[in-house]
Amino acid sequence: MLFYLLRRIGQAVLVLWAAFTIAFLLLQALPGDAILIKFQNPDMGLSPAQIAEIRASYGVDSPLPIQYLHTIGNFLTGDFGYSIEAGVPVRDQIAQSLPTTLRLAVLGFLAATFIAFGIGIAAHLTQFRWLRNLLHALPPLFISVPTFWLGIILIQVVSFRLRLIPVINPGEWRGLILPILTVAIPISAPLAQILLRAMDEIETQPFVAVVRAKGATRARVLFRHVIRNAMIPTLTIAGILLGELLAGAVITETVFGLSGIGELTQQAVNGEDTSVLEAVVVLSAVAFVLINLLVDLAYPLLDPRLKQRKGAVT
Amino acid sequence: MSKPSFYLHLRRAGVLAAAISSVSLLAVAAAFADDGKPVTGGTLIYLEQQPHTNIYPPSAGFYPNGGIVNQITDKLTYQDPKTLKILPWLAESWTVNADDTQYTFKIRKGVTFSDGTPLDANVVAKNFDTYGLGNKALKLPVSEVINNYDHSEVIDSQTVKFYFKKPSPGFLQGTSVIGSGIVALSTLAHKYDDLGRAPNIIGSGPFVVSNEVLGKEVDLKVRPDYNWAPPSFTHQGRAYLDGINIIVTPEDSVRIGSLTSGQADFIRQIQAFDEKQVADQGFQIYAAPTRGVNDAVAFRPDNPLVADVKVRQALLHATNSQEIVDTLFSANYPKATAVIAAVAAGYKDLSSKLTFDPELSKKLLDEAGWTLGSDGIRHKDGKPLELAIHVSIPQPQNQAVLQLVAQQWAKIGVKLDVLSGSAGNVVTDNLDPEKTPLAVAEVGRADPDVIKSEFYPLNRDALLQKGGSSSKVESFTDPKLNGLLERVAAETDPAKRIAEAGTAQEYILDQAYEIPFFEEPQVFAGAPYTHGIKFEAVGRPSFYETWIAAH
Repeated sequence: MLFYLLRRIGQAVLVLWAAFTIAFLLLQALPGDAILIKFQNPDMGLSPAQIAEIRASYGVDSPLPIQYLHTIGNFLTGDFGYSIEAGVPVRDQIAQSLPTTLRLAVLGFLAATFIAFGIGIAAHLTQFRWLRNLLHALPPLFISVPTFWLGIILIQVVSFRLRLIPVINPGEWRGLILPILTVAIPISAPLAQILLRAMDEIETQPFVAVVRAKGATRARVLFRHVIRNAMIPTLTIAGILLGELLAGAVITETVFGLSGIGELTQQAVNGEDTSVLEAVVVLSAVAFVLINLLVDLAYPLLDPRLKQRKGAVT
Repeated sequence: MSKPSFYLHLRRAGVLAAAISSVSLLAVAAAFADDGKPVTGGTLIYLEQQPHTNIYPPSAGFYPNGGIVNQITDKLTYQDPKTLKILPWLAESWTVNADDTQYTFKIRKGVTFSDGTPLDANVVAKNFDTYGLGNKALKLPVSEVINNYDHSEVIDSQTVKFYFKKPSPGFLQGTSVIGSGIVALSTLAHKYDDLGRAPNIIGSGPFVVSNEVLGKEVDLKVRPDYNWAPPSFTHQGRAYLDGINIIVTPEDSVRIGSLTSGQADFIRQIQAFDEKQVADQGFQIYAAPTRGVNDAVAFRPDNPLVADVKVRQALLHATNSQEIVDTLFSANYPKATAVIAAVAAGYKDLSSKLTFDPELSKKLLDEAGWTLGSDGIRHKDGKPLELAIHVSIPQPQNQAVLQLVAQQWAKIGVKLDVLSGSAGNVVTDNLDPEKTPLAVAEVGRADPDVIKSEFYPLNRDALLQKGGSSSKVESFTDPKLNGLLERVAAETDPAKRIAEAGTAQEYILDQAYEIPFFEEPQVFAGAPYTHGIKFEAVGRPSFYETWIAAH
C-alpha cells in the first residue's frame, strides 16, 4: 500500500509538472501577452516608449528558458506572482476564490449524488410503471438543460418573482442554495443515467436471483447488493465529471456573481494573465490528481476482489 | 427541543411575521410621504458589471475603477459637467503664466486623508510628480492627461507650482479628471502591482474603503469629518449616505432583476434594448454623456486598400449612422455630428460632412478605379476591396454595429469582415494595418486635448502613423494633421483653442480618417427612491449628494 501511494505521488508530481509546462508553452504561443493587453490599451494612453519601458521592467521579452526557470522557481517557493490586470498578488486572488468554488463544487457534487441516487432508488422501488418511466426520463432532461439558462430561470423565479432568496447580499449559506442547484442538476444526469443502467443490469444477474430466493427483503437486495455493485461504474463517471463540474461552476459563478476560480479564470483568460492562469492550471491539475486518487482508493472498498490483485488495478 | 416549546416558537414567529408585514406597510406609506428633503443615512447597493482592475488613479479610466475612485478621492479642481468650466475644489485658487508653462495652486487648508495625514502642497506636488513622470522603481505609469510635465516646486505648505517643458493648456482641466485624484504618500509608495487592492488607495474623498472581497465586492463607508466638497456645491459636509455596497454582478438580467425586485438601488450598464423594460417599471434611466471622441471606426491609411482618400470618403458616405442609432439604440445615443460629441469641449457641427449618400460613394469608388466584379465586390488590379475590423468589447453592441455597417457597405460593393478574437489577438492585429485597415475608436474626456489624445502618433495613435505605436507601419504619416493636433494642445487662448479643435476635426473628416457613428453614453438605472445621483463630466457616478428616501 505504501509503495502504491508513493508511486501515485510520483505520478502526480509528473502530471503537475507537465500541466505547468504545457500551459506555460501554450500561453507563450498565444499572440500578445498580459502586459501588451493591459498597457497597449488606449485607455492607458501610454506612448510606445513608455510601453517599451514597462515591458522591460516586467522582463516579458527575456528569453523563454529564463522566464520558464524563473516562473517555476517562484512556483516552487509558493510565489505565484501578480495579476497584471487586477494588480493584486495571485496568491490573494486564489485564497479569495478557492473556498467559494470548493464549497460550490463539493456541495454541488453532493447534491448531484443525492439527486442521482434519489432517482435511482425511487425508480427501483416504485410499483407504478408511469412513475418509473417518468424517473427514467429525468436524466436526459436534466443533461439537456444549459447551466446558464437554469441559473437565470432559478433566479428569475425564486428570487425575483417569489422573492424567497435574494441574489444580492443573501447571506453566506442561504446564497448557496440556488447556485448549488444550478451546478447539481446537470451533473446529476450522467450519474443517474449510469446508476439506473447499472442497477437494471445487476438486477437481472443470477446472484440477485439467488439472494432473493434466500428470502432477502426488497430493500436488502437493493441497498446491499444492487446499489453496491452499481456504485463501481458510477464512481468512475463521478471522477470524470470533475471537469464538467468546474465548467458548470464557471458559468454558475458568472450568473450568480460569485467570485470563484471560474470567474477568476475567465477574467485571466480575457487578459492573458499568465501568472493567474498558471496558478489555476496547476490547481486544477492538483484537483484532478486528488480526485482520481480518491476514486482509485475507493474501488477496493466497494469490491473486495480489487483488493487482492495488487498492481493490476490501475 | 420539546414539542410545546416548538409550537410556542411557531406562534411567536407568526406574531413576528404579522409585525414585520405591518412595518413594511408603514414603509410603503412613508415612500409616498417623500417630501424631497435629503435624508442622512442608509447604504446604497450599487451593482457593477465587472470587477475593478488596478485603481492607481491614472489607471482609473476603466468605468468599474472610476466608480470607486470617484468616491474616495478629491481633485484639485472641479469641472462643472454642464458648463465644462473649471472651478475650485482642493485648490482654492490658481494662477497660470502667459504661455501655460507654469501653474501655481493654492491648496485649501484643513484637508486630511482618511489615514489622518494632511493633504498639503507637498503631497500634491508628489502626486503630480508621479502622475507626470511615472515612477520606474515602483512601475507606476505616466498619466495620459499630463503632457510635457517637468517638475514641481513647493512654495509653502499650501502653495505648489508646476513647471512644464512646453505650453500645456490642457493641464488645468487635467487636474479635474478621474486620473488626477489626489492620494496619500503611503499610496504612492506602493508598487503598481499592489494598487489593485482598493484599501491601498488612501484618498481624501467623502467615502473610504472599509472592506474588499477581491473580484466581488467593495464596501465604502462615509467619512463623518469630510468638509471640503467643491465650494460650488449646495451640499457641504459629510455625504448623506452611511455607506455604499459595490457588488459585482456580471449578468445583465440579474442586475436589472435585482434592481426591479428591490434588492439593489443603482446599477451600471443597461443595454439600449433593456432600457424600456426598466423605465416601464418606474425606474429611472440615467444616460451620462462621455463628452469625448464619438463611437467611431478609424482608418489605417498605411494599408494600401484605404490609402486613397476617395475610398475612405466613399465608405464614410456609405455609412448610415441614423440607421445604426434607430435599429440598435435608443434616444440616449445621439447620432454623431462631428468627431467629438455635441456636449464635448471644442465641438463644431460638421454634420454636412457626414451625409449618407451611397450614390456619391459609388461615384467616388468608380473614380478611384474600383470596379464591381461578378461577385458583387469591387476589384482593382485583381484585388478585392475587402476590409477587416475587430469587435471592441467595451463599446455598446459593437458587434451588431459593425455587422450593420458591413451590410451598408456591401450595398456599394465593399466587404467588411467583422472579426472577434482573444484580447491578445485583437491587440496585436490592431497594431498591424495590413491585418486591420480599420479599428474601433472612442475616448471620453471633456477637453479639446481629447482630439490630440486620439489621433496623435505619440498618444493613442488611432490612425497608426509611422513613428507611433506600431513598428508594422511602412510609411503613413500626416504632418499636417499632427501640426493641427499640436496646435490644439498648445494654444493658450481658450477661444482660439476651441477654433483649432474645430479645424482639426474638419481636416479629419475631409480626409475621411474616421467615420463617427454616435455619441456614447454611460447608462445607469436607479430606484425611484434614490435621489441626488450626479455624474462627473465623462459619466462616472458621484454619490456624494446621493440620498435614499424612505421606501
